[in-house]
Amino acid sequence: MTRTVVRASGLTKRYGSFTAVDAVDFTLEENRIYGLLGRNGAGKTTVMQMLTGQIFPNDGELEVFGRTPAEHADVLRRLCFIAESQRYPDAFNAAHVLKAAPWFFENWDAAFADRLVHDFRLPLKRYIKKLSRGQLSAVGVIVGLASRAPLTFFDEPYLGLDAVARQIFYDRLLEDYTEHPRTIVLSTHLIDEVANLLEHLLIIDQGRILLDRDADEVRGSATTVAGGRAAVESFVADRAVIGREGLGGLASVTIDGRLDRADRVRAAELGLELAPVSLQQLIVHLTGADLRAGTTEQEVAA
Amino acid sequence: MTAVLEQPTVRTEPRSRVGEIWRVVRLHAVTPSVFFGIPWIILGAAWLVMIIIGIIAGAAGADTVKMGEGMRYSWAVLSPQWYLVAVGVQAIGLTMSFALGFGATRRDFWLGTGLMFGIVSLLNAIAIATLVQLEKLTNGWWLKVSMFDSLWYGQGGWLVDFYTTFALQLFVLFIGASVTTVFLRWRMRGMLVLAFGAIALALGGVAIATLTQSWPAIFTWFGSIGVVGVFTVVLGLALVFAIGGYVVIRRATPR
Repeated sequence: MTRTVVRASGLTKRYGSFTAVDAVDFTLEENRIYGLLGRNGAGKTTVMQMLTGQIFPNDGELEVFGRTPAEHADVLRRLCFIAESQRYPDAFNAAHVLKAAPWFFENWDAAFADRLVHDFRLPLKRYIKKLSRGQLSAVGVIVGLASRAPLTFFDEPYLGLDAVARQIFYDRLLEDYTEHPRTIVLSTHLIDEVANLLEHLLIIDQGRILLDRDADEVRGSATTVAGGRAAVESFVADRAVIGREGLGGLASVTIDGRLDRADRVRAAELGLELAPVSLQQLIVHLTGADLRAGTTEQEVAA
Repeated sequence: MTAVLEQPTVRTEPRSRVGEIWRVVRLHAVTPSVFFGIPWIILGAAWLVMIIIGIIAGAAGADTVKMGEGMRYSWAVLSPQWYLVAVGVQAIGLTMSFALGFGATRRDFWLGTGLMFGIVSLLNAIAIATLVQLEKLTNGWWLKVSMFDSLWYGQGGWLVDFYTTFALQLFVLFIGASVTTVFLRWRMRGMLVLAFGAIALALGGVAIATLTQSWPAIFTWFGSIGVVGVFTVVLGLALVFAIGGYVVIRRATPR
């Protein structure tokens, strides 16, 4: 039986006339890995800040572990959120951060943290403000992993990390998650890197949730159809088109929804090429505003 | 299957409120240079300058008794106070953002920070009041230098020096911290309103006092309450800032 850890309905955050998060509804279940995906400024960090009680929503309802998170110690002590733009006290170095962490996270694993410091080659004695972007990300990743908080947020954990460090993060997260299941929310715009890690996707754009689905369902749910323009158009005529490109007499159209055997046979007869769409491409199609506007127009015309 | 959590979560292990406040104190003390190291380096440097002046004056055969009297008007003993206003500002501006990321509540953070301020003020007050006595005992570090035994210090005994330093120290720390909570909650607009409000309040006070010709009465009152009375007012103001900060910080949002 899974428990609902987070329940948001109509959750809204406005900054003056700008609506950063616009009446979103979603739930997060216990012990799953969520991907909070979207473009820069889509509202990912704002959502996480509300979930962790760092900012106050303007509207809507929000329950984390059964109650409003802000100012509730019994909720907040189960959370860990090191923001991508996390501020640290001026005189702090990474050693100070790791020294203070066990006072705030009751499941803190110091040995695991030490191992991660070694893995990421994080200089412990250098002032936080002197760290490179990647090293700063490593501090957040180490705290997030070693805290073992029942609800852990990783805000753009890959920012500035080199390929080796990204792989280490990926491996350690999976290993530790298997041993100590917990709810993890990972926000990023580097989608393909984490695609295989995620169990459930929340795609957010301009403050709204565009897609809230299991990752397995999403993988392979979209297909790109390529071939002669006329043939492609006839094939996709009654389907949900989410992306469209064309060059001369050739067209390449991305459609949402699975294709059955009959569809595939028909595509082959028409001489069309079918290609699976990666998560990243799918999200580009879903959140690329210009593309979408163009598609709607063409769909109307068709 | 999905079950909704209707009841508030049950605590897995008992954790007292005191622990949650105390960890904020420890967080501030993780870098002891901020609250203790740098203020005492500033004070130590000021003391060294005074001592060197004393040695030069002595070597030049100047009237060191007169020098000592002149030094009573030096503010060297207060030199770390400006820095400590900045410490109050940073305690809220940077450390709070960090503590919230670590899952502290604003309430516990403010209470823990206040407790830290109290501890710092207590220790500084004990140290300064004791140094005043030492300076008197050694006749100005054997050079007739008057650094700690200056201004209002050294007149009413150890306890008065302790009390006045404690009050001043709390005031200095809380004014920096509480003004920063206004910034965190209302940003620049809040700061402007606060600044203009304070100026308007001060001007209004001056206008009332001048128009009703009550300045002599005010000075007489300050004279009558004495050093201890004045610093009781300072302590009261520190308390007002402490309470004001608590109210404001409850809905403040770190950047």
